[in-house]
Parts: sequence; C-alpha cells; structure tokens
Amino acid sequence: MTEATLSSMPKKAGSSLSRLRTREQITGYLFVLPAFIVILIFGLFPIGYSFYMSLFNWRVTKGAFVGGSNYLLIFGTWTNLLITLAGIALIVAAFLVWNSAFRTIAKGKQIAKLVAAVMLILGGVVFVTGWGQMYETGNKNFLVSLIVTFYYAIGTVPAEVIIGMILAFMLYQDIIGKDIFRMVYFLPYVTPSVTSAVVFQIIFSLRETSIANMIIGWFGIKPQGWRFEPKPFLNLLGIDLSGFLAGPSLALISIMIYGIWSFVGYNTVIFLAGLGNIPKETYEAAEIDGASRVQMFRSITMPLLSPTTFYLTLIGFIGTFKAFNHIFVLRTPSARESVITTSLLIFDNFYKANQYGVATAQAIVLFLVILGLTMAQNKFLGEKVFYG
Amino acid sequence: MDSAAAKPQAKYTYQRGKRSPMFYIGKILIYLVLIVGAIIFIFPFFWMVSSSLMTLGETITRQLVPKAPQWVNYLEAWNQAKFSKYFMNSVFVTLGTLAGLLVTSILAGYAFGRIDFKGKNFIFGLFLATMMIPESVTLIPNYLMIRGSILPIPGGTWLNTYWALTIPFIANAFSIFLLRQFFAQIPNELWDAARIDGADHLRFLIQVVLPISKAPIMTVLLFGFTGAWNAFQWPLLVTTKDTWRPIMVGLWSFVQEAGPQTHLLMAGAVISLIPILIIYFLTQKQFTQGIATTGLKG
Repeated sequence: MTEATLSSMPKKAGSSLSRLRTREQITGYLFVLPAFIVILIFGLFPIGYSFYMSLFNWRVTKGAFVGGSNYLLIFGTWTNLLITLAGIALIVAAFLVWNSAFRTIAKGKQIAKLVAAVMLILGGVVFVTGWGQMYETGNKNFLVSLIVTFYYAIGTVPAEVIIGMILAFMLYQDIIGKDIFRMVYFLPYVTPSVTSAVVFQIIFSLRETSIANMIIGWFGIKPQGWRFEPKPFLNLLGIDLSGFLAGPSLALISIMIYGIWSFVGYNTVIFLAGLGNIPKETYEAAEIDGASRVQMFRSITMPLLSPTTFYLTLIGFIGTFKAFNHIFVLRTPSARESVITTSLLIFDNFYKANQYGVATAQAIVLFLVILGLTMAQNKFLGEKVFYG
Repeated sequence: MDSAAAKPQAKYTYQRGKRSPMFYIGKILIYLVLIVGAIIFIFPFFWMVSSSLMTLGETITRQLVPKAPQWVNYLEAWNQAKFSKYFMNSVFVTLGTLAGLLVTSILAGYAFGRIDFKGKNFIFGLFLATMMIPESVTLIPNYLMIRGSILPIPGGTWLNTYWALTIPFIANAFSIFLLRQFFAQIPNELWDAARIDGADHLRFLIQVVLPISKAPIMTVLLFGFTGAWNAFQWPLLVTTKDTWRPIMVGLWSFVQEAGPQTHLLMAGAVISLIPILIIYFLTQKQFTQGIATTGLKG
C-alpha cells in the first residue's frame, strides 16, 4: 500500500516538489494527530504507567517503591515462578519433539515419541510442584481465579465452536426461513451483556419456581441453588472429588451456560461466512468422485473451515480471559471465589480494596498469561490449520 | 456474506436427484434442531418481555404470561426508577462518542491509507498494539487520569462528567484500521484527477472519498454505537452519582438497590434493549456482514 502511494508520486526531485512533500508530511501528521492524542493518553500511556504503578505500594495514592514485591505476593518466591515456568517449558518442548517425530524416519520416531512422553511427564511433575509451592506461599485468590478462568474457558469455548459449526452447517443447507433463523441466533450476541445477564440472574435464581429449576424439574431433578451454589458440580452429582479435579461450581456453570447462549450466534455467523467462501466446484468434484456427504464434510468442509475454527477458538479464549460484564452481574456473594475470574479479582482489588499496586501487578500477569496462551495456540493449533 | 449464503450452491452437499426417504428424515431433523435452537435463543427475550408486563405477585409465582399486561410498569420504571435519566445519559454519551469517533477515525484512516509521511508504519503499529491489551491493564491508570491524579485536567477532576464517559472512546485503533483498509483501495486515478483540479487532501476526502465510503463508515458507526451503549465497567468506575449513570450501570444498580422488583427490572431491561434492537433490525444485513468481515466485537 505504501509502495502504491509512493509510486504514484513523481520520482524527480525539485524544490517545488520537495515543498509539496513537506506539505504532504504535515497533512499526514495533522490528520493522525486527534486520534494519536486520544490513543496515546488512554491506550498507550496506561500500559507503561500500569507497570510503573505495579512497582509501588500504591493504595489510592502512591506509596513507597517496593520493586517486585507486588509480583512476589502472587508467586510467593521467584523460585516458585521459575519452577512453574520450567514445567511449562518442558511440556511445550515435549510437544515440539512429538510433532517433529512425525517428520523424521520411522526408526527415530519411536525414540522421539518416548523422549517426548518422558519430557511431558517430567514437565507435568515440575509444573505441579511449582504451582503447589506458589499455592502454599503465594496469593491463593489469584491462583484460584486463574483456575476459575481456565474452567470457564474450557467449559465455554469448545462448546461455542462446536454448536456454532453445527448450526452454521445446518443453516447452509436449503432451509426455508434461513435469514430468520440467523437473525434469531445472532440476537443474544447483539444484546447488551448487562441486559441479558440481568434476565439470566432471574432465570438462574435459587427459588423453586425459577425457570432453571422448572426445567430440571421436568427431568425429575430437585431444585438447585444455581448462581448461589459454590459446591463443585461433580460433588452435586455425588462424585466425591476435591480440589482442581472437582471442576467448576454450579454457580460457574450457570455463568458458562449464559456465556454459551450469548456467544454461539457469533460463531454461527462467522462459520456461515467461512462456508460461503468454500468454492462449490470442490463439492462438485467430490460428488463426481462418488464421495458421500459425511466424507465431503470430513475431507472438504472441515479442513477448509479450519482457519475459521482456529480464529474462533483464539478469539474465544482471549475473550473469556477478558470477560467481565456478565460475570460481574451474575456473580453472587454466596458463590464466593468459585466464580471470581482473574479480571473480576483485579477489579475487586482495585475498586473495593483500593490495592492499586497489587491490582496492576495482577493485571500485567494476566496480560502475560493471555499472551502466552495466544502464542501457544498459534504454535500448536495454528500448525494444523489448512489455508487452502 | 448473505448473498453467498443465498446462492444455490448449498444444494451440492446433497446428492441431487436421489431424494430418498433418508433425505426427508434428514431435513426434518435439521429443522427440528434449528427450531429447538431458536426457541432456546429466543426464550429469555420472551420471558423478559412477559415478566415486564406482570404484577409483582405474578413474577413471584412465576407465571409464564401475565393475566392482564401491566403497561404501567414501563411508566413506573421510566419515571420512578429513573430509567428516563439513565436512558438520556446514554443517548448523549453515545452521540458524543460517535461524533468524536467519526472525525478521528476518518482523518487517521485516510492518513494511514493514502498519505505518505515519516514514521507512518510505526505509529500504525503502535495503534494496533493497543487492540491486544486487555482492559484490566489500562483501566486503573485511565481511572487515575480521569480523576486528575496524573496530569492536571480542566476542572480538576472528570469523575461524574460526560467527558469521562466520552473522551477515552472517541478514537480507537479498530475503527481506524477498518477505514484505512477501505481508503487504501480507492484508485489513485481519482486522487490524481482531484489534484489536477487543485484539490488538497481534505477536500478530496470530503468530496470524493466520503461519498463512496458509506459502507465502512456505517460499520464503524454500528460498532461505535453498540460499544458506547453497552459500556458498563468504565462508567461504573467513573460515575458515583446516579445523575451521571448511563443505562447499563443504572440497570445494574437497580438490581442492587431496588431488591426483588422483577417486573420493573425487566421493564428497565427492555428499555435498555430497544435502541439496540431498532438499530439491529434496521441494519441487520450490514450488522452481520460487518461482524463477519471484520470478525471483531465492538
């Protein structure tokens, strides 16, 4: 694009031309200036200032310089962090070895796979050790909030992608009223999240007559506490697990259901656009070769949709880590920390507890976690994407 | 995207000519799933409207539909529950934000797309970088900025002002990016012709570029509108008095303050949804298309 603008300008140098170029430059700066001022002050400056704040004992007003202490509050000790990161690095390396195993010759393959497996186990052990120590000496609330966020992401993103794909695929057939269906599916996404969350507050209320309890009542299940229930879902089913394995609380699951409800339509629309981009000739050719519909779906639709799937997974994960409004509206005091995701915890530390320094440090750690996850997904999922 | 979906190409996923009973069973199953899905998606809306027309007693015993619709609920929510104030606040904030957003993003989008100046790519890169930063990181410094704790600002503090609710949002990288992509594709011949006629960049932008850029500008407006109308976290932070609350904060605080007045709450929820619904139904195609091609939430 830059080249295009350049080549449109005469190449010859001259005094009037150079004056013209200077004017061109000034016009450019003037045009960008209003946006630049706003984005500089409210978009760029805060990034640096956030880091600056995180180095101080900052409570409403600036206090003493404390260096990395606010970060140490999270991790306990730097060693804990290093051990945890080393564990993650080992797991990542194990995946890399495993992946490269498929490219090498048959003999090395077995060895490489073995090495990868050993590294994976080792990495897992190291990671759990580091995490355990952080949990002992660091900020439990923050670490728990990361797990809650992780549950929330795992509980919503795959479901949203799969349901979105199914609905899009069905809508892509010859369907009467296709536009109406699409409009209805998209409606929850367009609805302001506070508005719809307020409605779901009442749907998931603990009253015996609430909509959620009415629906499970049809299946003979007794009324539940929903948004107010901090107990892990699996415990309610009678499975006796504790800690991380026990899974999300019923309160968090209520929020997940809301999340899926509000986001599926977005995925459907994006998948529909993706389906529209697949050339029909591909299907014709496959039809001539006698491919069945299932075969066509598996060998044409799925691979050609993989960039869309990848994109939606990525956007979905980043979105869940940033999610705030609906969780804030749907949470209840009695669900305690079982619904507090990291972005909510940061907000509470800032807004309620006035711990500005601690909150900024946690925000920066959250950003790094998002960045790491994005890079990991790019590496591992991105490789499986087929770009035609 | 809509036109692509409407093409008959979908047929090729079926084996034409061989319409076996399986075909019809498949069709029926598809319709069944689609309709059940539609009911699940639409139900909360139905229930919201229905509850907003109930008496308080009916909301407690959880009727599905009110015996006699209580339209007076809307009047009560509008007047007593101050939703009129919240609503008007949101209208002003949204209009102000959109006006600013249009000016900044059209100018910057044009400069990035069509003018060559030093450091252009660097500045553009900086802008794009802000799109990846989560709100949690920028929220706290921005709050201090608006409170007047970092730089001296006119009036001392902007807490509880329209400035706090609009100024931080009158420019964003996404809108600039969107317009830049479009402006850069405008053929250079147009600019050359305009320049021969003695036009400068600003005149070319206003007289030639803008009239042919209605679609991307509309997309920017739609995203800007939903963003400003739906804003919650930031207004919650910078408005402490209910005279300044925009609608979403008003709705949330109504839950906190009014207790279990479900019928009024639902009336408020419907009120908060109406502008978005009107815009959505009027610009349905543009709306979904804008999101499908840009793939971003506003």
